[in-house]
Amino acid sequence: MTGRLPVVTGLGIIAAPGCGVENVWQAVVTNREGLKPLSLFHSPRYGQLPTGEIALDLDSLGAPRRGSRSDRLGWIAAREAIKHARLDCSEKPERIGIVMGSSVGGSFDSEAFLIKLIKNGKMRPRPTRFHECISVVDLIASEFGFLGPGIALATACSSGALAIATAADLIVQGEADTVLAGGADSLSHMTWGGFHSLLLVDAAGCRPFDAKRAGMSLGEGAAVLVIEAEETARERGANILARLTGWGASCDAHHATAPEPQGAGAAAAMKSALSRAGLAPADIDYVNAHGTGTRDNDLAETNALKSVFGPKPPPFSSVKRFFGHTLAASGAIEAVLCVEALRHQQLLPNLGFSDPDPAIGLSPVLKSDSASLANVMSNSFGFGGNNAVLVFSAADSFPGTRAHRAEPVAILGLGVLQPKQLESCEVKAPLPPDRVTSFSCGSLPEASTLNPNQRRRLSRLIQMALLSARKAVDGRSPSRQAVAIGTGLGCMEDAGTFLENMIAKEEREPMPAKFPGSVHNAAAAQVAIDLAARGLNSAPTVADLSFEAALWQAVSQLSANEADFALAGAVDELNKYPLAIGKRWKIWRDGHRPGEGAVVAQLGKINAGSQPMARVTAVHLGRFSVPFNADKEAKWVASLVNLKNIDTVVTGMGGWPRLEKPYSDLVAGLTRFTGRSLNHQLYKPSVGEFPAASAFGFAKAVELVKSGSRGVLLLTLSPRGGKAVCVIEQ
Amino acid sequence: MRVSPDELKAKIIESLKLQDITPEQIDNDAPLFGEGLGLDSIDALELVVLLEKNYGIVIKDIEEGRPAFKSVRTLAEFIEARQPSK
Repeated sequence: MTGRLPVVTGLGIIAAPGCGVENVWQAVVTNREGLKPLSLFHSPRYGQLPTGEIALDLDSLGAPRRGSRSDRLGWIAAREAIKHARLDCSEKPERIGIVMGSSVGGSFDSEAFLIKLIKNGKMRPRPTRFHECISVVDLIASEFGFLGPGIALATACSSGALAIATAADLIVQGEADTVLAGGADSLSHMTWGGFHSLLLVDAAGCRPFDAKRAGMSLGEGAAVLVIEAEETARERGANILARLTGWGASCDAHHATAPEPQGAGAAAAMKSALSRAGLAPADIDYVNAHGTGTRDNDLAETNALKSVFGPKPPPFSSVKRFFGHTLAASGAIEAVLCVEALRHQQLLPNLGFSDPDPAIGLSPVLKSDSASLANVMSNSFGFGGNNAVLVFSAADSFPGTRAHRAEPVAILGLGVLQPKQLESCEVKAPLPPDRVTSFSCGSLPEASTLNPNQRRRLSRLIQMALLSARKAVDGRSPSRQAVAIGTGLGCMEDAGTFLENMIAKEEREPMPAKFPGSVHNAAAAQVAIDLAARGLNSAPTVADLSFEAALWQAVSQLSANEADFALAGAVDELNKYPLAIGKRWKIWRDGHRPGEGAVVAQLGKINAGSQPMARVTAVHLGRFSVPFNADKEAKWVASLVNLKNIDTVVTGMGGWPRLEKPYSDLVAGLTRFTGRSLNHQLYKPSVGEFPAASAFGFAKAVELVKSGSRGVLLLTLSPRGGKAVCVIEQ
Repeated sequence: MRVSPDELKAKIIESLKLQDITPEQIDNDAPLFGEGLGLDSIDALELVVLLEKNYGIVIKDIEEGRPAFKSVRTLAEFIEARQPSK
């Protein structure tokens, strides 16, 4: 399996210090201050604070027009990385995948919709087209023609690093030969107001690890790495820049925003990455710290460093003062810098530090001195106690990385929740008029089983996920449990309420309790806290394939023996925003019904004693080429799945009108392949249309297997070009 | 201006959306955080907003509010001391 170990062959970056790896590297090694007052949008209260805004004109950099600011930043970084890797994207495009971390998605652009609506009463939904986190993946994949798996992950500030870790899993499992991986996030009113409402922004600019540190600085940017299987990189004669030898993830399962003070979760992720790389703590020559400059993060992180490396950890530093905290991009930007540090054999300086903090008792690297670097570690931590750690090693090192294959897994429990009042909500409440009006489906009756803090603080979406997860685990809650809960739109209600208030009151009297709930991984994080699940914690945001991506990650964690149990699920809520915007886009016509709900499955390894309700024997993602070619796509399914065992196919027909024909042609194509007719079952006519709906298709497939089907194929297409196939068997 | 503890308790319950609790059940000297009402760091931020909204007091650093957030009594005293004179 050593041929399938991941190597890095290309890098791309855009951030406040500049565009291009060389420019950014020069800014960092010369300790050049990169933060300036905000000019991207008007901030009545905080506009003068040092910020990592990109002052470059994205048009003149050639970025495509069709995309949000985040999408276009991602495209610019991807273009550089592809060129750097000398990657021919037309060569086996179905073997090239993309995984991007995104925290705000197209929020900066879609906020324009809300601002216009609140200030002028005008509803122009166009800016919302690129709102979803998957939009950056769609733009890059469609511009460069990739047809491999396309995944977006929204785990707040660890997203970029988790995307790179996920790319490594895709490669070792053979799902792709090449994966573009990184993160992209633009500044937005949402995160700007959000971090200010949490009093987490340092008015003097961030000072990581300094005694007087008082918070972060915000920034924006994107970075992309080309990660390849070593064998294919060597075959095409690519220049190997470094190896990605270790990757690990964990969850604090402690609090929505605050890190666990001892850094136990962070330390667990570091140990997991070391174990994956087959390295000892003493092998690490430099640690690129998360180091946001908040009092809590920097203290917890140094506690974690001490617990992994002992009282004298290796040289470490944070580069946040150069970029600001670029949220989902930060892990990717820092991964690029770690590869450059290895190539130049030079340390990265910690700008903004002057006085050591006695509570920390350690000082970071201050100059870009030469050093002998064989292995470097990069930390990224996010809201929800979400930790991801990467280890990069010199290109000429001999890796001891542990690879794994995807194994079939057992389905141990299933929690399905579709609010009962949905029906009356649909019947009684007329879809909102062109102006957004107050609209709510009400609280969940089952919420009475939640504790008072969960009831008062958590949104409907999070409550739905919690209730489904509790049903699925039915008491089986070991700490080595991974949680992957996908969502198409996330907690829009919380995000929208927070933003409306912020815009209307010009940043006064914010709603701090709404901000942590607005991140897409809030549901997965709250489930982890509720169940004390300390394994990987992820929130794939892959539009209609959000459930399938979560299932893929859960299976991958079990197969790699990173967890004993894993939850895979998806959740989306109905609220006034998708209803109103959907109405303007004429989505809800022809009997096409909006829906909401959550499904969470608990998965475990297959062993002699277990009596699973069914097994998941395959999960694969990709993108279909346009125009849709049913024969080609049926061949793709047949190449991955043993169709002999399949008697039933469950599809997402009965939803998006433009997918009706592709679905029916695909099922017909599969019938030709098998030479017998397949029982075709649908779920959308009963559950409605929403991104997480395919999780209900999965629940249906499990029920079919329980009632006698030998094998069920769950086929899902996304109107955005994604495809997925899962097999559920007895 | 005198700040009535009962009025303050009602405001706390409302802004923190505390469940199943009445102003009478909150002791003037009971700790608000940790053991007492079981509030957390996000509730502290909501208290900061409460102070701005109702009393025009702006707190920029959570450390500044920490001594005030010990109990209803300390919070009322803090407001009385800091409230802009009208």
